[in-house]
Amino acid sequence: MKKIFIADDDPDILEILSLMLKMAGYETRPTINANDIFDFSNGLPDLILLDIWMSGIDGREICKQLKANERTKDIPVVFLSANSRINEITEEYHARDYIAKPFEMEHLLKKVKQILAETAAHT
Amino acid sequence: MQTQKPYEELITQIGELTAQLTEAQDTINAIRSGEVDAFIVKNGNGHELYTLKSADQTYRIFIEKMMEGAVTVSRDGTILYSNTRFADMLDLPLASVLGCTFDSFIPAEYKPYITELINNKAWAEECKAEITLPGKSAIPTPVLLSMNTLEIDGGLALSIIVTDLSFQKEAQEQLRQKNYELEQAHLVTKDLNDQLEKTVKERTNELYKSREHFNFLADNIPAIVWTALPSGEVDYFNRRWFEFTGSNSTALSDEFRHHIHPEEQKEYFLLWDKSIASNSRFEMVHRIRKNNDDEYAWHYTQALPFKDHNNETVAWFGISTDIDEQKRALEKKDEFISIASHELKTPVTSIKGYVQLLRYNFQQEGNTEAAGLLTKADIQINKLTNLITDLLDVRKIENGQLRYHEEKFDFNELVKEIIEETERITRHPIECELAETRCISGDRNKIGQVITNFIDNAAKYSPAQAAIKVKTASGPERVRLSVQDFGLGIPKDQQSKIFERFFRVNGEKENTYSGLGLGLYISSEIIKRHGGSIGVESEHGKGAVFNFELPIL
Repeated sequence: MKKIFIADDDPDILEILSLMLKMAGYETRPTINANDIFDFSNGLPDLILLDIWMSGIDGREICKQLKANERTKDIPVVFLSANSRINEITEEYHARDYIAKPFEMEHLLKKVKQILAETAAHT
Repeated sequence: MQTQKPYEELITQIGELTAQLTEAQDTINAIRSGEVDAFIVKNGNGHELYTLKSADQTYRIFIEKMMEGAVTVSRDGTILYSNTRFADMLDLPLASVLGCTFDSFIPAEYKPYITELINNKAWAEECKAEITLPGKSAIPTPVLLSMNTLEIDGGLALSIIVTDLSFQKEAQEQLRQKNYELEQAHLVTKDLNDQLEKTVKERTNELYKSREHFNFLADNIPAIVWTALPSGEVDYFNRRWFEFTGSNSTALSDEFRHHIHPEEQKEYFLLWDKSIASNSRFEMVHRIRKNNDDEYAWHYTQALPFKDHNNETVAWFGISTDIDEQKRALEKKDEFISIASHELKTPVTSIKGYVQLLRYNFQQEGNTEAAGLLTKADIQINKLTNLITDLLDVRKIENGQLRYHEEKFDFNELVKEIIEETERITRHPIECELAETRCISGDRNKIGQVITNFIDNAAKYSPAQAAIKVKTASGPERVRLSVQDFGLGIPKDQQSKIFERFFRVNGEKENTYSGLGLGLYISSEIIKRHGGSIGVESEHGKGAVFNFELPIL
């Protein structure tokens, strides 16, 4: 089962994302404190959904750290944001893709599925 | 014996008498023939006949031919001699003049005075008098009479020279006329001169006032004012420039280079050179250094070329307005709107998420009615999301801050994706006709936003269940998308305004249709920014076709 880490400072959105992904058959680890992303004690995730604008923590900074680390640099990161510049940020921080808030469930699931398939084909 | 005279004496007397008789005979003959003038002088010894035979022939001719009338008058005022000229002056034959009294030819008004001269005064001293004679053909002739005594053949006569003053008077009159004209001309010249002097004075005054006015205005206006030569070299700054920058430099042409923020200098001079080359308005927002330290304030600078009647630029007038406060306030406002937009989208994201989860669950349970209601809720949430996005986009367009993220993408792929998304939320069937696909370069999200806007609008204005047709076409350089609806269409007079901000098509009643009137404005801005064109074709009552074209690269 593919493992997805989710970081967002809004508990509702965290819950929604988690429920949607679970329904689609993924294992999720939602985290309200973005720094918990770096806890890989139970193994690395196959994909990370990362909110950009979180209280006190900048999603971009987290992405940068993940990309800087040899161990985690290949994990696809998908940004989540209501920011209209999300596409630029995605490119600038070398994230795999982005999902603009508010999002369509179908769009989310389709994108996740597609990225995971691409990653699987790649490795 | 007194009577018995000696023979010789008698002979002599006979000789003398014979001579006198011959002379008398000659005179009479001459008078008869008109060759010679003669006159008779009456003295103490009775009448004496004077002839001019003895006078020098040259003088006689001279007197006859001279322009003046010449008259000799006896002591009692009788005309003894007159030349033809005098008779001419009176318009009489010479024979009618001779033997008459001189004063008989003098008009009544001069008579007493002239008679007195002729009878008395002129015999004692030379006299002159100016009178007017009736003249030839009754044209009054002004004449000067010069009287002088004349001794002729031992007797005394009065000579009167009559000088026609007509010509002189006429000349005088002409002279007077010329003088008058000259005087008039002089008056006119003087008037003109006065006027000219006045105008020069006024203009000088105006110029002075205008310069004072300019200086007053320029120095008191709450902005930096400057002028430049046609070459672009600045030659004047108002007081505020020096107060603001703290500069006291006299090398005005270098001032901008020293005080414009280094980050904007390159663009500033590039635009300035462009304006000078094309003689067109200059406009830029840039920072100016304050008080020679590291603090800068935002200014809005505009300059216009001042052209003469040949359309040649003679100077540039520039004004730089301090917009620092406004700019910072605007930045705060933009930041606020950005935060507000984010804050609004967060709860919408949650609502949308829960609604979609619920719908999914109902669908799984087979409760299509509940799922359908939630679809309707989802559609409304999308509308709300679009409104939030539009408001933010308008702000950004106004500030020129709407950013475009360029990428290469498959145009048909995008169209299909948008149709798929909108099909879920609209009751209208979407008919799709796609041409051979092309890859284009642009902001995929924003172009998608335009397509969504076209389809949403088509749905909004279409009667229920009416189809919406989406077509793409591609040429070698451009791709085209059109969305056709079968709604009420757009009246011709509103078609050009439809892409304006806040414009909404009016139905029978106002507010018939929902929306802020921003969607097409934003769409139009997005397409224009991509170098494309946007348009609409519509006939009132027969629906509308909205389309845009985009360059492929």
